[in-house]
Amino acid sequence: MKDAARDDLASVLCDVARATGLPNAHYTDPATFAEEREAVLFASWAGIGFAKDVPEPGDANPIDFLGLPLVAVRGRDGAVRVFQNTCRHRGMILVREKGKLRGMIRCPYHSWSYALDGRLVATPHVGGPGHNTHDAVDRETLGLIEVRSHVWRDVIFVNVSGTAPEFEDHARPVIDRWRDFEGKALHHGGAGSGFALDVATNWKLAVENYCESYHLPWVHPGLNSYSRLEDHYNIEAPGSHSGQGTLVYRQFRGDDGKTFPDFADLPEKWDAGAEYIALYPNVLFGVHRDHAFAIVLEPRGLERTVEHIELYYASPDTDAGMRRANAALWKTVFEEDVFVVEGMQRGRHGPGFDGGRFSPAMDGPTHCFHAWVAGKLRAARAQGLAAE
Amino acid sequence: MSLRDMIAEARGLDARLLAAHAAGDGDALVALYGAAGEREEAGGALDAACFYYTHAYVYALEAGHAAAAALHARLVAHGRER
Repeated sequence: MKDAARDDLASVLCDVARATGLPNAHYTDPATFAEEREAVLFASWAGIGFAKDVPEPGDANPIDFLGLPLVAVRGRDGAVRVFQNTCRHRGMILVREKGKLRGMIRCPYHSWSYALDGRLVATPHVGGPGHNTHDAVDRETLGLIEVRSHVWRDVIFVNVSGTAPEFEDHARPVIDRWRDFEGKALHHGGAGSGFALDVATNWKLAVENYCESYHLPWVHPGLNSYSRLEDHYNIEAPGSHSGQGTLVYRQFRGDDGKTFPDFADLPEKWDAGAEYIALYPNVLFGVHRDHAFAIVLEPRGLERTVEHIELYYASPDTDAGMRRANAALWKTVFEEDVFVVEGMQRGRHGPGFDGGRFSPAMDGPTHCFHAWVAGKLRAARAQGLAAE
Repeated sequence: MSLRDMIAEARGLDARLLAAHAAGDGDALVALYGAAGEREEAGGALDAACFYYTHAYVYALEAGHAAAAALHARLVAHGRER
């Protein structure tokens, strides 16, 4: 199976006019899923959650990322850090539920205690009852294992392997593309401005569907009256991101015609422009003049993905009813996509499917993503071969 | 203190400790284990005292309790912490 998959990557990496998509194994084979976990998700900067879920110092949120137990912690210094949620003593899970830590992280097993920056501070009875030190236990070397992390547009990204370029370099193309929005505060809409969709699909199909506009008139017919296919354009940044843009974004209006306030000092192009980008591997962003959203695709397994969707505004003081209505609108759109990503997942169990052919005119963003995944796998395989 | 009083006090402390554990009341745990340590120290039982001080210290760390620094200093003074 693996040798066949290796050969098939060559056709994925062809020009879009000749390429085929990633083979079925990338959606249906547990071994390939495990390979992608390491080579694609752990070796790059993957989204695992949102900083708004740990808003204050001491807030902690345990996150299971593809079986890797992590915990995001907001330190006393205000910084968000991500650690392996595992005690250095007996490997016990440290933080079991989301909440506020008043002081340190105490392991519930033998009470080894860690500061919020990961330092191991206390090792009770480690030298015998009432003796809390031992020469063989060097606290300096036994702090929590920190995972490289970075927060951008409220999304917590991690590079599990520790080998990816700096996040700013990794995301530079999209940071530059959206420099009009860079550094402008995002205010989460609060309760009701976030929702999750539990979808029976491989996580990559959610990326693929998100980043092309080809499907819009068929899957989202409600858009046809004001946002036609020809009003959209492809975004392709090989090795980084891809997506789509629209030239006819229409602001959401409340009952009285009121709109959400705009992000400050935007150039004219955003008056009716909006863009939707997949930052590889698993985070989807949308920007508009008056609101934004971020979607973290959480792979729960080979054929299951939870889409975590959160909406943000330019001001902390927006109308609650309008926020609710806007979230409901987006939820409808994303729910319309569910049957597609689930259908493509089921379709990939057909053994005759060869990864599919792309429309060179319309499917460039999808092929761009496939080529990135294939490139990551190839690089990892080459490294594996070199190490053998 | 008579033996009967000592037993009654110990039982009372045990009950209060169990209640504090059940309630997850970190502040109470700091106070109760600290008091237990002081009682043992007064009786000359240093190992037992440091056992209790250690518990008071750990729960103080967890609770962000102001007593953590003093408990740490006490354990350091007895050579049980650094």
